[in-house]
Amino acid sequence: MGAYLLRNLCQRLVLLIIVSFLVHALVHLAPGEPAEVDPNNPRFKPEDVAKIRAAFHLDEPLHVQYALWIRDLLNGELKSFKDGQPVLPKIWERFLNSLPLFVCATLIVWTLSFPTGIHAAVRRGSNYDRTTTFIAYALISVPGFFLSYLVILWVVNTFGVPVIGMRTFGAENASLWFRSMDSLWHLVVPSLMLAVAGVAILSRYVRSQMLEVIGQDYVRTARAKGLDSDAVIYSHALRNALLPFVTMFGLMLPELISGAVIIEQIFAWPGIGRLSFDAILARDYPVVLTVTLIAAVITLAGTFLSDILYAVVDPRIRLS
Amino acid sequence: MRIKTLLVFTPILLVGLLVQAYFWVPTYEDQIAGDAQRLRKFVEASIGDAKLLNPALHADSASGKIVDKVFDTLLDLDENLQLRGRLATHWQLTETAYLQILPGASLARGVLSDAPTLVAALRGAMDDGTIDVPPDLLTDIQILPARTLNLVVSDAADSEVQEQLLVNAPPRLQFTLRRVDQTFFSRLRPVLGDNYQQQADSSDWHRPVPDAFLQSLRAQLPVFEHNPEIEFELRRGVRFHDGHLFDAGDVKFTYEAIMNPRNLSPRTSDFEPIKSITTLGSHKLRVVYKRLFSPAVMAWAAMGILPEHLLNDAALVQEMDARDLAETARAAFGLRDSQFNRKPVGTGPFRFAAWQSDEMVHLRRFDDYWDGPPIYHEYFFRIIPDTLTREVEFRTGAADSYNPEPYQVARYRDDDRYRVYSSPSSGYTYIGYNNRRPLFSNPRVRRALGMALNIDEIIKYVLYGEGERTTGPYPKTSNFYATQTAAVPYDPEGALRLLRELGWVRNADGWLEKDGQIFEFNLITNNGNQKRRNILSIAQDAWKRIGVKCNTQVFEWAVFLQDFVNPGDFDAVVLGWQLGIDADLFQLWHSSQTGANQLNFVGYVNPRADRLMEDIRREYDPQRQTALAQQLHQLVAEDQPYTFLYAPRKNEVLDPKIVMVADDGRLEPLRADRRGELYYFFSRWRKLAHTPQF
Repeated sequence: MGAYLLRNLCQRLVLLIIVSFLVHALVHLAPGEPAEVDPNNPRFKPEDVAKIRAAFHLDEPLHVQYALWIRDLLNGELKSFKDGQPVLPKIWERFLNSLPLFVCATLIVWTLSFPTGIHAAVRRGSNYDRTTTFIAYALISVPGFFLSYLVILWVVNTFGVPVIGMRTFGAENASLWFRSMDSLWHLVVPSLMLAVAGVAILSRYVRSQMLEVIGQDYVRTARAKGLDSDAVIYSHALRNALLPFVTMFGLMLPELISGAVIIEQIFAWPGIGRLSFDAILARDYPVVLTVTLIAAVITLAGTFLSDILYAVVDPRIRLS
Repeated sequence: MRIKTLLVFTPILLVGLLVQAYFWVPTYEDQIAGDAQRLRKFVEASIGDAKLLNPALHADSASGKIVDKVFDTLLDLDENLQLRGRLATHWQLTETAYLQILPGASLARGVLSDAPTLVAALRGAMDDGTIDVPPDLLTDIQILPARTLNLVVSDAADSEVQEQLLVNAPPRLQFTLRRVDQTFFSRLRPVLGDNYQQQADSSDWHRPVPDAFLQSLRAQLPVFEHNPEIEFELRRGVRFHDGHLFDAGDVKFTYEAIMNPRNLSPRTSDFEPIKSITTLGSHKLRVVYKRLFSPAVMAWAAMGILPEHLLNDAALVQEMDARDLAETARAAFGLRDSQFNRKPVGTGPFRFAAWQSDEMVHLRRFDDYWDGPPIYHEYFFRIIPDTLTREVEFRTGAADSYNPEPYQVARYRDDDRYRVYSSPSSGYTYIGYNNRRPLFSNPRVRRALGMALNIDEIIKYVLYGEGERTTGPYPKTSNFYATQTAAVPYDPEGALRLLRELGWVRNADGWLEKDGQIFEFNLITNNGNQKRRNILSIAQDAWKRIGVKCNTQVFEWAVFLQDFVNPGDFDAVVLGWQLGIDADLFQLWHSSQTGANQLNFVGYVNPRADRLMEDIRREYDPQRQTALAQQLHQLVAEDQPYTFLYAPRKNEVLDPKIVMVADDGRLEPLRADRRGELYYFFSRWRKLAHTPQF
């Protein structure tokens, strides 16, 4: 087990280095230049542009730029082109803003999908099953941003409460309790919108997994033993149906970085998705590269985690 | 069983917990009715966040909005676009002109022997009226002794190749002038002769050098040299928001911060013509320029003054220590890295309070503002990137103003609860023809193409009416725009007639043809701008009707610039300019600016226009400059290197409860200044509890 983990870790490290090469090359090969190097400003002279390019090391060969990026990243001195502020604290601040949104949406997805999916599998072909299937496909088909608009207009017109941003604007002086409830409310609509597609998809997965497991011989045996139906479904069948979701959980982590660009844009949420989106538009290479690298680290960590979890959950799997 | 209960109740609990939060949130009505303070706050909704709150470094309009409120400039433009003093109470423009004595040069009469005889000749000619120098212009002539200079000269072909050169330059004459006069040396022509400047030959003054170095040497030893000067008298008793007194040192520091190469300031070219800045006491300073460059005066009207005590070397070292930076970071540390850019301190009407990235910037009014504090106590700049949610926040009263899209404007115009303020913007959209291509080299062809387009219809359908016709290179909001210039009329028949005169005849397929070639070209624009794409289709259709075959294509912005516009490799483009109030259009239209990566990418060349642009740059008299600029406007309009389409209108929608308080305390509706800038009077704005009737 220990040897396996060590080997796996080393492999992932090598992979990470390769990914960092690729990301760096890709970002620099994309057409366009940092917004600061703006030859369309009528007052800018070629000398000014040259000066800025030199300061950003844009004229160095790619491998030198790569080395400089890694050096600055490792000693924490990487600075954004946009405002000269250190990149890591900037990303950290936005990460903390995105975290509640992610956690809340994930909780909604995972808690809501299982009961609805299991119920649909158990009552296969019933009205309940047909209705949830219809709703799930409807939610998958409707674009998230469109649904968000409808919900925003509905909430604002019907209830007259703010839904945009991380808190009610101008309520900074309220008591701590009010402020935390206010923040919680501001989480509700965006995280729900973020979760909608997830719930629809995951509950379908749960349904089909359960159906597969319910058809197995050991389930029939359990029923034949005379166990009550809930015990068969929830302790015998569900455990085995859970296995594939361990993998999914690990793969979901990177969404923390990339998942919510559109939702953050619509709800004016100052999260990491907007940070990276704006950075891409402005070709703010240090920010784009670092966010992408962090996403790669989290993806690798997530799959590593699910590998281990797999062994823990399923005694038939041995890591060697 | 337990598992089932758990699975069913967890989501119910979770949703219950989330939804109950609703009961604690104040509704919009509570927020507005229940908060008397709300009337003292102004909330502006913006599409994007500020980048850097430092007047020497920012380049985006969002940062500009904040910086303008936190910092003061020495001068600014008043309501009618005349210069007005802010941190400077008085300013005076004078000039010192230098004339290099060229021993042995032939003058109008005789040969130049030495400086005193030339001075005597000049004075004599002035007295008897041979030379036209108004008595109020010239105050003094001095003879400056010969000088020995150690110059660095560079190769004209390769500026990297440099040499040291010891030069023994003969004496010079120094003329002190009461105002800047670009014609001063031509006034001396009756004495100096017509080709005094051309006789410059420095070969006796230094060891022989290759010819390639002479250009750089002559530039450093000009025969005629104009040094305009501005003397600023600064306002006394002005304080920065931290209580520190403002003085001349801050102005000098601001200039040095801009010119420091480490700071990568985008404003260096505005201040590069400055030769020196000297402080004359605590509240007076003199700025001397290397050459005639009138836009340099306007540069002071756009430059907020930085606090020296918070940003000088000592302060930066202190910040580095406080942040405990590593040695490599310290070596590169400059103004750009300072935390000042995220919490600025200026002398302006508002002081900085807080900035939450991508959420909002918060300013409070500065009660000790020298020009009287603004009426609003607080200013919020909220960042709401989505157009629809901006509208929602505005309609619910959580924001006081924003820039609506043209299609939204139509909705607000019909609604009494909102007021739309509309003014032409300082930019325009155009179709630019590559003047180098034989097809477009004739101005009459370009005019005919313009006549085939129904621009009023474009404004009506593409812009929902939110635009105005424009006729030439200057923005409609400036005084340089020649109002008498007529727009190209919509006249497809006339266009056909014009083209027929030039030999273009319709062939059997209906296309115009000349010498076996049909009239065909590509019109391109950038992706991501729906209005330009629509114009592409409309123009294509309009030209097809007169038998011109136009193919259209859309490219991603970076590719569009890199492959087509910068190398000048295109037939025609749809593009736009966003301009300031600036008479100087040298970089956009001068024939020297037609190279790769330069802004006259359509390749417009007209010697008369070149001369006008050069004169405009050197003219310091506002009236004369405006007259020259209007001539330039007229000339470019005649040549039609672009088909000038329209100036989009800038719209701002506000709560009608917001009014302006006049000097005498009367309330009046909001209005914009000559530029169309609504926020010009912002410090006098006030929000009432009820909508007033005017």
